[in-house]
Amino acid sequence: MKALFKAVAAAGIVAVALTGCGSSGTAQPAAAPAADLSNVKYEGSVSVITRYAGGNAAFFEKMAKDYEAAHPGVKVNLQQESDQGYKDKIKTLTASQSVPDVYFSWAGNYAEQFYDNGLALDLTNVIAPQTEWGSTMAPQALEAFTKDGKTYGVPLGLDAKYMLYNKKLFSQAGVKVPTDLDGLLAACTALKSKNITPMSFGNKDGWPAIHYITQLNSYNVPAGTLNKDYKPATASFEDPGYKQSLDQFAQIVDRCTTTGKTANGADYYSERDAFGQGKAAMFYVENLEFAAAAPKGSKAEADGYDLFRLPAPAQAKGDTKALTGAPDGFLINSKAKNPALAVDFMKFVTSKQNAEVLASTIGFPSPVTGSLNEQNSTPQLRASIEDLRKASRLSVWLDTVTVPGVAEAYLSGVEGMISGTKTSEDVMTAVKAASDQAK
Amino acid sequence: MSTTQQKTFPPPGLNTPAAGTALPRRRKPARKKNAWPGLIWVLPGLVTLFLFVYYPLVLNFRYSLETSNIFTGQQRFVGLDNYARLAADPVFWKALGNNCLYAGISIVFQVFFALVLASLIENLRNERFRTILRSIYFLPSAISLTVTGLLFAFIYQPQGGLLNGLLNAVGLESLQQAWLGNPDTAMLGVIMMSQWQGFGYCTLLFAVAIQRIPREYYEASALDGIGPVRQIFSITIPLVREMTGLMMIVTISGAFQVFNEVMVTTSGGPDNSTQVLGTWLYRSGFIKNDFGYAAAIATVIFVITLALALIQVRYTNKRRV
Repeated sequence: MKALFKAVAAAGIVAVALTGCGSSGTAQPAAAPAADLSNVKYEGSVSVITRYAGGNAAFFEKMAKDYEAAHPGVKVNLQQESDQGYKDKIKTLTASQSVPDVYFSWAGNYAEQFYDNGLALDLTNVIAPQTEWGSTMAPQALEAFTKDGKTYGVPLGLDAKYMLYNKKLFSQAGVKVPTDLDGLLAACTALKSKNITPMSFGNKDGWPAIHYITQLNSYNVPAGTLNKDYKPATASFEDPGYKQSLDQFAQIVDRCTTTGKTANGADYYSERDAFGQGKAAMFYVENLEFAAAAPKGSKAEADGYDLFRLPAPAQAKGDTKALTGAPDGFLINSKAKNPALAVDFMKFVTSKQNAEVLASTIGFPSPVTGSLNEQNSTPQLRASIEDLRKASRLSVWLDTVTVPGVAEAYLSGVEGMISGTKTSEDVMTAVKAASDQAK
Repeated sequence: MSTTQQKTFPPPGLNTPAAGTALPRRRKPARKKNAWPGLIWVLPGLVTLFLFVYYPLVLNFRYSLETSNIFTGQQRFVGLDNYARLAADPVFWKALGNNCLYAGISIVFQVFFALVLASLIENLRNERFRTILRSIYFLPSAISLTVTGLLFAFIYQPQGGLLNGLLNAVGLESLQQAWLGNPDTAMLGVIMMSQWQGFGYCTLLFAVAIQRIPREYYEASALDGIGPVRQIFSITIPLVREMTGLMMIVTISGAFQVFNEVMVTTSGGPDNSTQVLGTWLYRSGFIKNDFGYAAAIATVIFVITLALALIQVRYTNKRRV
């Protein structure tokens, strides 16, 4: 036993000595260099990482193949990960300074972490709204990857949240599309009275509830206050609108869903299927998922379905024209060996022709103007994009727009509220504490 | 061919000096003389062990004294701040409590119940039946944890789930729950899934230990009129104590390293009610980017499991039959 202790101690001492030899990095983040597409060298390779493994992998596989065919001297090294797998892998790649040339990012604080630390190329010269490339895209999509007047991301999918509703079930209950939150709650009561499940809702993963809160926060809290509070340095979270949003969400869960307090145990995807099977009258869903929520040949499709925005409360003090959503985007590694080639690859991926392919292969609406047509999309998807263009702004998902600690406080707090173990005051206290800690 | 020659050790005359001759000088042990060539042979193993086990361990401790920004590679020494935050973090204590609960329930199921079941199985007379039963109980251990997680998600589902369906069928509707969605039942739900999977494996290990007990003990006790229950307490349990001790330590140690079971079912939710040290470490590092804090949690897990490993080493040295 003594020998064992001695061995461990000796190994520890040597290891401490060696770790002391390593120096802590103290380099300040460098300003991101600007992109230049005037002289692209079509040689070597470009590495790309996405979060589209599985059913959505086909698009980038085709893009890699087509780009290599168009430029024979270029090899595209493509890695596609699952949603969670990507979150883990990109952290490891970042920590080991091995970020691929082109990498996926959500909008908001998630993307800002990369460009604030000099890991993303400044694309303003080539993709800002007034440029040739940028003018092909919805300005709201570019805005989501813009900070201090500089644009860093290439938006790929134009994602926004809508309430899908089953026309037949609405008609059976004599319900019309609600125009405000009280109208929605009244519609739920009317549907329930006809033994129709008003809304399917599963929150096993935590984020489905956060999407409601994102939209309600935009309605109840002025945009300026939101922008200030979502950044820990200027945050106070004093506005009463935050608590109102949580209380309104609790009302929706209580009066519109049948899962209610058990929603934390219900799977989001099973609940989405329930809408498709015509078992629920409404489902709050991203437009990227319309095809999965009401697939071809489904009961919901046969019944007929349409969409509306989550209605705003009457006399809301925030921006009632804001819409929850954010484009999926890609950043270019500022340390890429051939950054111009990496930018050129993404320009190729977001050309109008390939934007149409994006919709026809995996059902994603592109921010590229005019890329949706009758051949590659449903009327509901086209209607969502048309409506999105009328939005005053896109409210980025609450779990990516703010720092991870605040997002975590919201996620766990809202879960507690649904289960009945926390109140809206408890949630806001935890959010404030997390924000203060992140200052 | 048998021999009647009496054997002694050492053989006569081997170590005994002849009368009148001087005692030879004591020779140095051969192992010392050959130590260096031997070390060269084990050096690759030692270097590998040092590089991939001890060095990362110490490096982890160093990281626990720093905050780090993975985007810039910047690190800042903060002393014991991460440990102070740990002590004040209610989720950390919740996670530690869940690990302890996990260990406690695992001991009941994977040590006590597994031993009782193994005794019952090994008492059966029909060998084929015994083999079939061992296989049935072992089967869950052969299923991948991801598949098990999916299976139990179906069992625990609040609407249309098997468990709630059964409760409904027997008139116990009032007990229906969102088993993994209710903070009061979620941790127990995860633990019971783990017991279902690990129970058969432990039973098999106990069965092997019981098979090593000479049958004569049972036959003799049966002649003395001892019943099967008394045999378990008076013969089986005392003679498998080495395996019992080991199983307890391995089970407790495993309970403090649990991670996959929680990730495939609840990911630590709802409201952090199923966080264990492993998942809280993961969330702190990979979700909240707080790698210094995550390293501090890793150090706590290491200290607990090291203590258990040392107890195990000591126990096995003392108890070996």
